[in-house]
Amino acid sequence: MLTEAVETGCDLRALVRQHQATVFSIALHFLRDRATAEEVAQEVFFSLHRNLQQIETPAHAAAWLRKVAVQRSIDEGRRRSRRPQVALEDVAEPAAGIRPGDPLLSELLRKLVATLPEAPRMVMVLRYQEDLEPAEIAAALEMPVATVKSHLQRSLALLREKLARRGIGESGWTG
Amino acid sequence: MKSLVKFACLTVLPVMAAPQQFQLNLDSVAAKASEHVDVSLNASTLQFAAKFLDSSDPDEAKVKKLLVGIEGIYVRHFSFKSAGAWNEADLEPVRAQLHGPEWSKIVGVVSSEDGENAEVWLRTSGNKSIGVAIVATEQKEITVVNIAGTIDLETLAEIGGHFGVPKVKPADKPHKEE
Amino acid sequence: MDWLEDELRRALAREDPPDGLAERVMARSARGPSGARRWLAAAAMVVVAAGAAGAWRQHQGNQAKQQVMLALRLASAPVQHIQSEIRGISQ
Repeated sequence: MLTEAVETGCDLRALVRQHQATVFSIALHFLRDRATAEEVAQEVFFSLHRNLQQIETPAHAAAWLRKVAVQRSIDEGRRRSRRPQVALEDVAEPAAGIRPGDPLLSELLRKLVATLPEAPRMVMVLRYQEDLEPAEIAAALEMPVATVKSHLQRSLALLREKLARRGIGESGWTG
Repeated sequence: MKSLVKFACLTVLPVMAAPQQFQLNLDSVAAKASEHVDVSLNASTLQFAAKFLDSSDPDEAKVKKLLVGIEGIYVRHFSFKSAGAWNEADLEPVRAQLHGPEWSKIVGVVSSEDGENAEVWLRTSGNKSIGVAIVATEQKEITVVNIAGTIDLETLAEIGGHFGVPKVKPADKPHKEE
Repeated sequence: MDWLEDELRRALAREDPPDGLAERVMARSARGPSGARRWLAAAAMVVVAAGAAGAWRQHQGNQAKQQVMLALRLASAPVQHIQSEIRGISQ
């Protein structure tokens, strides 16, 4: 039973408030659609409501929600049967003077991550949104740790290459 | 009468039994019995049950055919721990009804040797047979049956030879010593 | 620390969902499955119920059949006895 949560007075509403940003953001960064991300988030929490009796600790709740959010997001992505279609040529060229920390760079990176295949895309979201270690990502995605590390390495290399083509990077900061 | 398998009191299917053709009011007998069986099957239940009889099985096919003219089957069967537990007065409430004008006793067998008695009564309406009553007693058993509708008694007797219950053949009965 | 990873953390930072998500979740939890899922759940229940009803009907039918056989066995025995007595007399 959710004994710790009971002791601290947590309930479904509290769990929603505590984890809604995580759940919503996993869906948002994976699917790149706010309305769909909210639907997925609602589904995830509704699933939590139905399975609340299985949750044993607050940490268990967090891990459970993360895993279900990942699964539902992937399912929704497949249902839409497309990657969020952000073709490279559609990604706007950054304005001159883009520097680290520029919101335009963040938006570009979000779009570039959205062009990744399903598995490495979710690996990147879990790594850089949730700050999970490869072993935790492997558990959430039920894939080998080595595969997670491989996805991370290749995805970072790919993003560096694409940014470099746009003159963005250590060797090419514009401005 | 051969001993029947002792049946515990069964819970019948929750059906609305059509009225029997006479009241099987044998509460005084039930009070003395160690076990009793109470079966009440109306027409709809019989029709429903017939659907589950296997026509490819000769015995069940015979039963299925038997059920065609039957509108209800009502049985009360009692077993007693010892002889002398019941007496004829216990059956008077039933026998009194069978003495009514609509009933006629067509056969009765009394066996003083082993205390087995059996009577078959026919209920008629005009010239038509519309029911059968059977009253059978042994020292430790009583069976009262009402079958509403038309029934072939020959076929009924044959059924008793199946379903694990051996037929009683005349040659099997011990001869009275002279 | 690698600049790209820093930028990725910034780009993929958690965002708050639209206002009222918690209230919508609570309302939906109180309501139960909604929309298409309610319909699917109901359809699934019909399928399950139909299957269960079929099994229950089979069970009921077998019970009725057993009751008929019991009744006929009990009715048959005295008739057999009468027949055997009559045949014994006539032999």
